[in-house]
Amino acid sequence: MNRELESLDAVFREMPDLKVEHTGPRRTRIQVEADALPTLLELLKGRAGYLHLSAISCVDWPDTEEFELVYHLWSYQVSNLISAHTRIPYDPGRYVSVYDLHAPAVYFERDIHEMFGVWFEGCPDQEPFILTEWQGPPPMRKSFDTVAYVNDTFEWREYQPEWANDPSGGKG
Amino acid sequence: MRPENYKPVQHSASHEYELYFGPNHPGIEGNYALKCVLSGDVVQSLRADGGYLHRGFEKIMEERLWIQNVALVPRICVPDPVPMEETYARAVEMLGGLEIPKRAQWIRALMLEASRVCAHLFYFGGHAATMGMYSNMFWGVTDRDLILDIFEEITGARIYHMYITPGGVRRDLPEGVLDRLSKVLDYVESRLPEFDNLFFDNAVVINRATGVGTLTTEQALSWGVTGPNLRACGLPFDVRRDDPYLIYDELDFDIPTETAGDAWARTLVRREELLQSIRILRQIIATLPKVGGPIRCALPNPLAWNVPAGSVYARTESSKGELGFFVVSKGGAKPWRVHVRGPSSMHAVHVLERLGPGSRLEDVAQIMFSLDACPPEVDR
Repeated sequence: MNRELESLDAVFREMPDLKVEHTGPRRTRIQVEADALPTLLELLKGRAGYLHLSAISCVDWPDTEEFELVYHLWSYQVSNLISAHTRIPYDPGRYVSVYDLHAPAVYFERDIHEMFGVWFEGCPDQEPFILTEWQGPPPMRKSFDTVAYVNDTFEWREYQPEWANDPSGGKG
Repeated sequence: MRPENYKPVQHSASHEYELYFGPNHPGIEGNYALKCVLSGDVVQSLRADGGYLHRGFEKIMEERLWIQNVALVPRICVPDPVPMEETYARAVEMLGGLEIPKRAQWIRALMLEASRVCAHLFYFGGHAATMGMYSNMFWGVTDRDLILDIFEEITGARIYHMYITPGGVRRDLPEGVLDRLSKVLDYVESRLPEFDNLFFDNAVVINRATGVGTLTTEQALSWGVTGPNLRACGLPFDVRRDDPYLIYDELDFDIPTETAGDAWARTLVRREELLQSIRILRQIIATLPKVGGPIRCALPNPLAWNVPAGSVYARTESSKGELGFFVVSKGGAKPWRVHVRGPSSMHAVHVLERLGPGSRLEDVAQIMFSLDACPPEVDR
C-alpha cells in the first residue's frame, strides 16, 4: 500500500462513524453526518490528496423532507473518486460552505441555492445566475410541478398547420 | 437579462465604466454575456452572466423515461455532443449493472474520438476568429464537416446523433465506413501543415496569444480546471488514462502537455491532441473489424424499464475537460435526479471571472475561446 492509500486509511480510522463502501474500480462512497462532512473534506484534502472537487450534487428527498448533498472528490495521487453523501433537513435548509477548502465550491453552491433553495453559510456568491428574473420557488425541488406551472402561466393555443396533416410534407 | 430589465449602473464621475460583452457579440461563445468593468481598455472586474440557453434539461430528464433522455442529452453541448450521450448511457448501465458488448465499446470510443477531432477543429477556428482571422474558422468548419458526413452515415444525424443508448449503440457501422473515415483522417492530418502556415507558425498569432489569460499550475488546481486547459499548465491528467472507461486502457496514446498555461499553450495542447485522437482512431479502425459480436446487450423493455435504485457518478474526458453525470434512481421508470457537471461550468464562470481582471478588452474573447468554454453546458 502506498503512502497516499495509507493516509486515506488513517482518515477513515480517525472518523470511525463514516460508512465507507467501495462501489467499483476507483469509486468510493462515503455516508457522513452533516456536521462531520467539512472535517472529512479537510482531512481528505490535507492528508490524502483529494484536491479536486469535481462537483457538488443536490438531491431532493421529499419523503423525509431532506436534501442530500453529494461531494465528488478526485485524488490525482491515488486516482480514486470519493462521493461523500450527507443529508440536511428542509428546515432550516442551511448548510456550511466548503469554499474555504475548495474554491470551485462557490459555483456549485450558488447553483444549488438557485435551484433548490439551500443557503450555504460562508459562500461568497449566491446571487442568481441562470434564473435572474425568476420569482417562483426553487424549480429543481420535487414540489415544483412544471406542468402545473405552464398551465397556470401560459394559455394553450391550437396549432395545427396544414402541412402537419399533409403526409407529403407540402410537396404535393 | 431582457433588455427592458437592464438598468445601467449610474457611476459617479470616474475613470471606470461598465460594458456588456454579449450576449450578442461576435467575440462571445454561444449566448452568454460577460459584464465587464473597465478602466480605459483594461478589465477591472468581470462577471459571467448565464441563463440565455437554459432549457431545464435536468428537470425535464426527471419527467422522461430513461430511454427518452437519450434524445435530450446530446443537446446539452452543441460542439461536442457525443460525450454527453456516452456518459449518460454509461451512468444508466452502471446503475443497471449492465456490461455492454466489446464491439459497442470500440464503436463508442470511435464516436468519442471523432467528436473530439470535430471539436478541436472548431476550436482552432474559434480561437483564430477572436483575433480577426476568419480563414481558419472557415477551414476548421469545412474540415469538420467531413467528419459530420461520417457521423451522418453511421447514425443518420450530423450533430445530435442519439446513437449511444444504454446497453450499447443503436446500430452497427455501415459497410466500408471505416475506410472512408480513414481517408478523412488522412485528409485532416494532411491539412495540419496548412493550419500551421496560417495559424500555428504565424508570428502575429503567437504574439497575440502568448501570455494572455495565463493560469499557474496552483491556480489551475485550486480553481477546478480540467482537460486540455489543465494539461496546458503542465499537469498530465486525462480521465481516459487515469480513470479509464470503455476500451481506453487498451489504446496507445500520449497525453500532450505544455507548461506556460496561457492561451497559446492551450491551443498547442489541442493541436497535439488532435493528432493523438487521429492516432487513437487509426488503432480503432485497425481493431474494430476483428471485434465481432453484438452491439447491444439484452435490455428490459425500454418503455417499462425500472432501473435499479442507487446513485452513480460517471466521468468522461470530453474535448473541453472533465464531464460528469451524477444519476440517481429510486428504482422507477424515470431518473430521480440527473446532475450534469459540464467542464465549462468551471471554465466559463469560475475561471473566467478570475482570469479576466487585468486583461485587456481585446483579449477577453480570446481568453474565453482559449478555455473552450461552452455556455450550453453551463446553462444546461
